[in-house]
Amino acid sequence: MIKGIISNGLYNNNAIFKQMLGLCPTLAVSTSSMNALGMGLATTAVLTGSNFVISIVAKYIPKNVRIPSYIVIIACFVTIIDQMMKANLYSLHKVLGIFIPLIVVNCIVLGRAEAFASKNKPLYSIIDGLSVGLGFTIALFILGSFREIIGAGTFFEMPVMLSSYNPLLIAILPPGAFLFLGFILAGKQFLDDKLKGEK
Amino acid sequence: MTSYFKSILTITIITITAGVMLALSHNATKDKIAYQERQEVLNALKAVLTVHDNQPDKDVIEKDGIKIYVGKNNGEITGYAVNVIETSGYSGAISVLTGVDKKGLISGVAIVYHSETPGLGDKIEDSEFLQSFEGLNINDRIAVKKDGGEIEQFSGATISPRAVSKAVKNSLEIIIKAAGLEND
Repeated sequence: MIKGIISNGLYNNNAIFKQMLGLCPTLAVSTSSMNALGMGLATTAVLTGSNFVISIVAKYIPKNVRIPSYIVIIACFVTIIDQMMKANLYSLHKVLGIFIPLIVVNCIVLGRAEAFASKNKPLYSIIDGLSVGLGFTIALFILGSFREIIGAGTFFEMPVMLSSYNPLLIAILPPGAFLFLGFILAGKQFLDDKLKGEK
Repeated sequence: MTSYFKSILTITIITITAGVMLALSHNATKDKIAYQERQEVLNALKAVLTVHDNQPDKDVIEKDGIKIYVGKNNGEITGYAVNVIETSGYSGAISVLTGVDKKGLISGVAIVYHSETPGLGDKIEDSEFLQSFEGLNINDRIAVKKDGGEIEQFSGATISPRAVSKAVKNSLEIIIKAAGLEND
């Protein structure tokens, strides 16, 4: 059970590469590896917290008010994370800006609350939140790193390309997000097919 | 009827709990957030003002609702700084902080925040560009070369540097009017 939850969250049902959920923050903040990591970890923290609380209280919530209740719980976690980041990671918070509060409407978070946490035990829900969140973080990080290396010639703001390298600007502009996501998805599909063929 | 009541009760309990949690977290973080925000303003002021040993964000003169930060060294005024929000940029507002010394010469320019295009318009953050304002006064033509001014624009982006030039010129005028500096 636990193994299944983890592999589903990280790879088999990866929120971005498989389910294509939460693409708005994905495309908008994956301009650098640092932003991607910050956004991914903030979402993971919210997801784990909200999954845990919702799995405990779900059985007491009448069906007709469950979505507003989940949203209030999620919004509460997001605001706490937002305040904590502002207090301790001010410069990262400034870059991510509006996208932190917008985690509230990230469909991954509500999706896991509705599809998993409301039907499962707290322990499983925490593991699910962590693995889906980390899967999201890894996907964002891959996308962000590619875009930063190609679009700015840096990785974690350290130059990694030859000084003669002329950054391909489009990679860090919005269209670049779509292009690179497409390339990564195609690459993943190619690998998956290869692995299947060998079995 | 009972199911309505139960729904209302549930939502009420959840929102009240959430409210209490938020109040607690707000209380725990507000001092640190205020400190971080102040630190940011102070750092920017340090970069644009000439030598000062006071806290310019507390030494403020207000003129027509605009705050002017005053830099002082040993109690003597050494310069002024003003924060202007310019909306004629390429995308969104650009917040520019301009420092002027007591002779009316620009001592420094800093971009507090902006959302110009990465790789093109965001070169307004480059120190080389910002330094090209230093030492200019109100009689200089503070505008990009394309508009007959003295500021070098960069290839591919004219609108962003034009907006910054406009903001700097405005700031200089505000300071000179408010502080009664001579135009020399």
